[in-house]
Amino acid sequence: MTSDAEGDVIAQLADLLREWLPKQRWFAGKDREARSIRVVSRRDLAISAVDSDDAGPTLLHLILDIDGTVYQILIGVRPELPAQLDHALVGHLEGFGMLYDATHDQTIMRQILVWIRDDVALDGVTFRPEPGAAIDVDAPSLVLVGEQSNTSVVYGEHAILKLFRILAPGTNPDLEITRALTEIGNPHVAAVRGWIEAPLEGVPTTLGVLQEFLRNGSDGWALALTSVRDLFAEGDLHAGEVGGDFAAESERLGIATADVHLALAQALPTSVAASRAVSELVASMRARLAAAASSVPNLQPHAAAIDSVFDALASSQEPLQLQRVHGDYHLGQVMRTEAGWVLLDFEGEPGAPIEERAALSSPLRDVAGMLRSFDYASRYLLADHPGAPQLEYRATEWADRNRDAFCVGYAKAAGRDPREEHLLLRAFQLDKAVYEVVYEARNRPGWVHIPLGSIERLLAA
Amino acid sequence: MSVPGAEPERPVDPQWYKRAVFYEVLVRGFADSNGDGTGDLKGLTSKLDYLQWLGIDCVWLLPIYQSPLRDGGYDISDYFTILPEFGDLGDFVELVDEAHKRGMRVVADLVMNHTSDQHPWFQASREDPAGPYGDFYVWSDDDTRYRDARIIFVDTEKSNWTFDPVRQQYYWHRFFAHQPDLNFENPAVQEAMLAVLRFWLDLGIDGFRLDAVPYLYEEEGTNSENLPRTHEYLKRVRKEIDDLYPDRVLLAEANQWPADVVQYFGDGDECHMAFHFPLMPRIFMAVRREQRFPISESLAQTPDIPETCQWGIFLRNHDELTLEMVTDDERDYMWAEYAQDPRMKANIGIRRRLAPLLDNSRDQMELFTALLLSLPGSPVLYYGDEIGMGDNIWLGDRDGVRTPMQWTPDRNAGFSNCDPGRLYLPVIMDPLYGYQGLNVEAQMRTSTSLLHWTRRMIETRKRHPTFGCGSFTELGASNPSVLAFVREFGDDRVLCVNNLSRFPQPVELDLRRYEGVVPVEMLGGMHFPRIGELPYLLTLPGHGFYWFTLPTPRDEG
Repeated sequence: MTSDAEGDVIAQLADLLREWLPKQRWFAGKDREARSIRVVSRRDLAISAVDSDDAGPTLLHLILDIDGTVYQILIGVRPELPAQLDHALVGHLEGFGMLYDATHDQTIMRQILVWIRDDVALDGVTFRPEPGAAIDVDAPSLVLVGEQSNTSVVYGEHAILKLFRILAPGTNPDLEITRALTEIGNPHVAAVRGWIEAPLEGVPTTLGVLQEFLRNGSDGWALALTSVRDLFAEGDLHAGEVGGDFAAESERLGIATADVHLALAQALPTSVAASRAVSELVASMRARLAAAASSVPNLQPHAAAIDSVFDALASSQEPLQLQRVHGDYHLGQVMRTEAGWVLLDFEGEPGAPIEERAALSSPLRDVAGMLRSFDYASRYLLADHPGAPQLEYRATEWADRNRDAFCVGYAKAAGRDPREEHLLLRAFQLDKAVYEVVYEARNRPGWVHIPLGSIERLLAA
Repeated sequence: MSVPGAEPERPVDPQWYKRAVFYEVLVRGFADSNGDGTGDLKGLTSKLDYLQWLGIDCVWLLPIYQSPLRDGGYDISDYFTILPEFGDLGDFVELVDEAHKRGMRVVADLVMNHTSDQHPWFQASREDPAGPYGDFYVWSDDDTRYRDARIIFVDTEKSNWTFDPVRQQYYWHRFFAHQPDLNFENPAVQEAMLAVLRFWLDLGIDGFRLDAVPYLYEEEGTNSENLPRTHEYLKRVRKEIDDLYPDRVLLAEANQWPADVVQYFGDGDECHMAFHFPLMPRIFMAVRREQRFPISESLAQTPDIPETCQWGIFLRNHDELTLEMVTDDERDYMWAEYAQDPRMKANIGIRRRLAPLLDNSRDQMELFTALLLSLPGSPVLYYGDEIGMGDNIWLGDRDGVRTPMQWTPDRNAGFSNCDPGRLYLPVIMDPLYGYQGLNVEAQMRTSTSLLHWTRRMIETRKRHPTFGCGSFTELGASNPSVLAFVREFGDDRVLCVNNLSRFPQPVELDLRRYEGVVPVEMLGGMHFPRIGELPYLLTLPGHGFYWFTLPTPRDEG
C-alpha cells in the first residue's frame, strides 16, 4: 500500500467514523459532529482464526484525536461480515474490507485475552497479566450495553475487560488503585487480572483493565431505588418501618467505604494539607460557585450563604488529611454482591488530566459524594410521581435515615464519624450540589430543584 | 414384580431423603380417632391417604413418647412407651406399616441429650448414687463447673446447675431445670441410648430427628457445644444405622450457623440431614426488602456438604426462630436487619403460621412455597400450611400454631367428634381463617385452591430429581428484586426466576451458557423464546415466579 493509498484509507475511514461515532454512547460529542479527526496512532494487528484455516480478521487499533479529545477505537476488518456481526457494522472500505466494531467480535476479543495471558508486546502495545491471575481464554465474550464512558466486555462469568474510550496520558487511576487494593487483599474491590497499555505522548497509558466480574452483583443505585419505591408505595409509614428499609445496607456501605479509605491511606501516598492547599481547595470551590451562580439565576439567592461556609473552611486551622480517594463516588459506583459491597471505577472524571485525577484529596470528598447520591436516589422517582408533596417529606426522611446510617457505618470502621468534621463535609456537599445545579440546568431543567432543595437544607442545618 | 398377598417390598433407596418432601405433623393436632379431643396415631393413620394424595414422602412426628409434657414432650419419661393419649406401640407399628404400604416413611423426634426429671433413670440416680443409675446424669458438689456454657433459656433459668435436695448435689441441665442432662461420659448411658434407637428402628421407623444434639458432652474451658466427643458418639450411632438399618435417616437439630452445622455431616459418616436455620428468616427478609441479597448471601455462605448429605429447609415449623446463634461480630447481618425493622423484630420470636405472616396474600404464599420447593435442600412443610391455615394469637405463642387441623366445615373442623369443650385447643373460628370456610374438604373441591396448587407444585418438583440432588448456581440478575438460579443434575436442568417485589419487574438474565436452549415453562408446558447470546429478557408480575426446564437442544436437520 502506498502512502497515498494509506492517506486515502484514513480519509475514507474518517468519513465512516463521522457517521458512526455519534451513535456510540461513549462518544462525548453527541450533540456535535466529529469535525476534525487526527490519527494519533494506528496499529493493524493480525488475529488468528480459531476454527478454520482461513485468514482471521484484523484488529485495527486506533488512537484518534477527535476535536481535541483523544479516543481509543477498536475496529475489526474482515473481507465479509458474518451475520451475527451485522449489528456492529461501521461500513465498507473499498479495497480494504468490511469494518465493524471489534468489541463485538468474539474471535478478536479472545485474542486480546490470549495476549494478556501470554504477556506480550505488539507494535508498542503491551498486554500484561497480574501475577498469579487465572485467565480463561475460552470464555466467550459479550459486550455490555448501557455503559456511558467506556466499553466493557464480559468473558464468560468470571472476567470483565474495561476498555477506556477517552484517553489521557498516564496510568489510569482505576488500574493503579484497584491493583494496589488487590495486592493487599482488600475485599471491597474487583480483583485485577491484567491490563493493556501503550505509549501516548511518550507516557505509558492504560488502554484497558481486566478484572474479576461480579456476576452476582447489583449496583447500589438500583438497590436504593428498590427501597425508595417500596417506601413510596406505603405512604403512611416512616422510612424505618417499611419492608424495603435500606439503612442496614447503607451502614454496611459506610463500613466498606471506610475500609477502602483506610487501605488506600495504607497502600498509597498521603499527606497533610498545608494552609495553602486548603486555600487552593476553597478557591476552586469558590470559582465553581461563581461560575454556577452567573449561569443559573436560581442559585444566586444562596450564593452568599454558600460562600460564607467556604470562608469558614478557609479560616479554620484544622489540618486536612489528604490521601488517594475514589473521586467520583456515588451509588452507581458500588455493587452489592453476595459477599458484601464492592467499589468500582476509581478512574475519576474521564477526560480530566491524570495528575488531577490522581491528586490527593480528603476522603470526605467521597463521603460527601455518597451523601449527595442518597439525596438523589430518594428523589429520583418523584419526577413523575403523583402526590409528590407528601412523598417529598418521605424522601427527605429516607435520605436522612440512610445518610446517617452510612456515616454510622463509616465511623465504625474508620474510628471517626465524618459528621464530626461538620464544616468540611458541608463544604464538600455544597460544592457537589453547586456542580449538580449547573448539570441539571443544562441537561434536565425539571430537576434543578433537587440540588437546589439540598442546598437549602444544607444551609439551614 | 410382587407376589399376590405378600407385602410389596420397598425398593432400596439409600438416598431417598435427598429427594423427599417432608411433612411435619403434630400428632395431637392432626386427627382424633377416639373422640377424646386429642389427636392420636390412629387418627394420623386414617389421614395417610390424604398425605399420599398431596405427594408427601415422609412424615415427621414431634415427640410421641411418655412424658409429663412440661416441654411439649421433649421431656421424655419413658423412651419405650407411646404417650397414652396418642395410642400404643401397636398403633405406632400400624402407622408405620400403612405408611410404608403407600410408599411413605415416618421419622420421629428423639431427645438424646436429656430426659424428664420424672424418668425412672433420674429418680434412681438421685436416690441411689452408688446404684446402676447413679452415674447416668451429670452431678456435682457445687455449681461452678462448665462456667463457659451459656444459659439457653435465660428468661427462666438462672444457672445450668440445679440443687437436688434428695441427692444433696447439683445436676447439670442445658435446658429447663426439669430436664436433667444425661451423662454421655458413662458408657452405660451410651449403650442405653443405642438400645432406645434400636428399639424404634426394629419397629420399622425410618429415622430420627435428633433434638439438641450439640450438647451431649461437657468440657471445662469450652462452651460445651459441638465438642469432638459429641461428634464421635454421633458417628458411632451412624455406624450402627449403616450396619444394621440401611435406608434410615438421622436428621440433626442443631440451631447453629451452617458453617458449624456442617460438622454434623462429618465426612458423610455422621448425620444424613440437618436443618438449615438461617435460610428461612432470610427468605422472609428478602421478600420484605424486595431484594435478593439476604438469600443470595446466605446460600453463598453455606458450605458444601458431602454428596450423601442434605439440608432440611422450611418456611415455618413448630419452633420459633431464635437468634441464639447470632453472637459473632462477623455474623451480625441478621441482627442488624432485625434490630432495625420493627416488624421483623416483632415477628422473630412470635410463632405465626405462614398465611398470617404473609397477610394471607395468595401470591406471596405461592412465591414462598415455590422457593421452598426449589432452593437447595429437602422441603419440610408444616401441617396446615398447605391450605393456608391461620393461627390463634390469644392462645399464647406456643399453642397459637398448634390448633386442630381443619378437615371439613363440620363440628370441630372434622378433627374430632368430641364435645367441642373437650378439644385440646379450640379450632380457629375467625372470619378469615375459620374452619367453616377454610378446610381440606372445601379446597379439594376447588381446583384453584391453594391445596391443589401446592399438590401440583410438589408433583412438579418430584418429576425433577435436580430439585433434590442438583447443583445450585445463582444467575446474577440485572434486577436486584429478582432471584434467579439454575439447578442442574446431569441432563435435568431447571431455571427458577422469582420476583421478590410486589411490583411487576423486568429482568435480563445472562444465559449464554445455555445458548440455543428453548426454555419450557414447567406448569403449562409453554415454549419460551430460544436463548441467544444477548441477555434473556423476562417480565414477572408482582411476587411472580417461573420454573423452566432447560432441555438439551436436539440436533436439527
